[in-house]
Amino acid sequence: MASIAFKRVSKAFDKHEVIKDLDLTIEDGKFTVLVGPSGCGKTTLLRMIAGLDPQTSGSVLIGGKDVSRIAPGKRGVAMVFQNYAIYPTMSVRENIEFGLVNNKVRKAEREELVEGISKAVGLYEYLERKPSTLSGGQRQRVALARAMVKKPSVFLMDEPLSNLDAKLRVQMRIELIELHKKLGATFVYVTHDQVEAMSMADTIVLMNKGVIQQEAPPDEMYRRPSNRFTAQFIGTPPMNVGELGESGSLFGFRPESAVLSEAQGDEPFSVRGVIATREMLGSETIYQVRSGSGNYMVKCSEDLFAAGQEVYVGVPAAKLHFFGEDERRIDEKESSYGKCMEALRGRSHG
Amino acid sequence: MDKQRLGETLRPYLMIAPAMAGIFLFVLYPVVFLGYLSLYDYNLMNKAKSKFIGFDNFAEIFSREDFYKSLSNTVFYTAGVVILTLLLSLLLAVWLGKKSKFNVFVQAGIFTPHVVSIVSIALVWLWMMEPNLGFLNYVLKAFGLPTSEWLQSSKSALMSVILVSVWQGIGYYVLILVAALQSISPSIYEAAALDNASKLRTFWKITLPMISPQLFFILVIMTIGSFKVFDTVKVMTGGGPNNATNTLVYYIYENRTTNIGYASATGVVLMAIIALLTFVYFRLLSRKVHYQ
Repeated sequence: MASIAFKRVSKAFDKHEVIKDLDLTIEDGKFTVLVGPSGCGKTTLLRMIAGLDPQTSGSVLIGGKDVSRIAPGKRGVAMVFQNYAIYPTMSVRENIEFGLVNNKVRKAEREELVEGISKAVGLYEYLERKPSTLSGGQRQRVALARAMVKKPSVFLMDEPLSNLDAKLRVQMRIELIELHKKLGATFVYVTHDQVEAMSMADTIVLMNKGVIQQEAPPDEMYRRPSNRFTAQFIGTPPMNVGELGESGSLFGFRPESAVLSEAQGDEPFSVRGVIATREMLGSETIYQVRSGSGNYMVKCSEDLFAAGQEVYVGVPAAKLHFFGEDERRIDEKESSYGKCMEALRGRSHG
Repeated sequence: MDKQRLGETLRPYLMIAPAMAGIFLFVLYPVVFLGYLSLYDYNLMNKAKSKFIGFDNFAEIFSREDFYKSLSNTVFYTAGVVILTLLLSLLLAVWLGKKSKFNVFVQAGIFTPHVVSIVSIALVWLWMMEPNLGFLNYVLKAFGLPTSEWLQSSKSALMSVILVSVWQGIGYYVLILVAALQSISPSIYEAAALDNASKLRTFWKITLPMISPQLFFILVIMTIGSFKVFDTVKVMTGGGPNNATNTLVYYIYENRTTNIGYASATGVVLMAIIALLTFVYFRLLSRKVHYQ
């Protein structure tokens, strides 16, 4: 099996530097999701692992071995592309088999592997078909089978679910989690969808503008975002962030952390506002509350209020986040945390 | 009521009537008339002296040495032009497939002969191929290579005509193939690289099948076109020397005044050969062609 390491890696396209001096270690056997807005460099990282767009400087290590000079086909990695990149002129069987033939696997072994894998992904009846006769979901499975059959130590996936409809996407998400458990290989998965990242990852690597913002398991990423960008990228609706006053510090809270009430409570953050919009989503309701200090999104499990109603938004101390002038998280242990809390309380109740 | 229905029925036919009239007049009528002429010993000066002779013209065709000579010339010419053009245009297209300023320039250069009249091209090559004063032999001599008689020897004349035809036509086909190559998604090549496919295997198993519709199109179009070659032969050799470059269409042209019935019969034979070839191509190759 194989861990992946980036050592002071830079990548430039036509003198335009996308990634600069990046260090990152992806643990062996983990499901790592690279997530970020488009153009953040996540796909670039993935393609560097594959060797499709080698780094401009620095080194990439797979299983402790520098692969900078090794061709993509010899790195022991397999990749699932966003558009699947299935060979349209070959049958499903030939598609799955192509890599094995190139690696000079014997015919009998090849057939056994192809049949085993195709049964596992539910393509056995379609082996002799051309990809053009398959549905989107089936093509996705061909791409997966083609990657799996090579038994790679590293699976690379570039937004593999983005071309599927919503229902199939949720189903494939679960199948991928199970696949990862079964194979135990290192998975590196690129997506711009934070829900996908949260649902599948062992570790999320959140990137923006070529810089890693935070590298953490999903729950930590959600509960203790290391900066404002992370706080607002992960979660729907995103974290409410407001300014704290002259210091330039920021406070924030998740929409579900706030409590709506008709009377003012004694929470450190409490503000009066009017419900501007109400989205009833079934199990929860999302209110947009307009107040003098800004708009706040509030997610409630109960649907008690109507649009136009006047309410108080209250957030308990434990659910508040603070960010410094540089937008970095202020930890509970830091001295400025107390100051921020005081400032917020003073503003709400003063 | 009935009148209205009649109108409804007739309207579509009325609509396509002008186009159909054109097709009847300029396509079907000439073909039928060609067949009609081929059955006659036709007298152009005095129509009354024309005589229906059945299939005698065809019998004569298949018994005459010069027909077989021009047929074998045409087959040789077609094979030479089609194979050379396909190979060279494929080679050039693969080379020019990568987009760069230099490649665009080269592509424009290769395409230029296509926009020049074949008559002008044939004339220029005629001069260049002149054995004593021509440019080609001058270059060959300068490099100390053996010279050629080009169009003036029955051994090299047909090869020389093939050379000119290939040179003239190649730009167009390169253009088609470059467009085909550039339409292949790069991610397919990336997938092949990750599947550890060698360059040669990638070309053989991915590139060629992906552009097979275009290759098949070129094969069919060029075979038909080459079987009907005329202008190059007319300008450069007039079928000579010693019938070495006499092709079927030029053969028909030679017989047009002396024996129009015989010429028409040859035309029918040519039509049948081309139809048969195209049919065979579709039968043999269409399964190897991959349409998206």
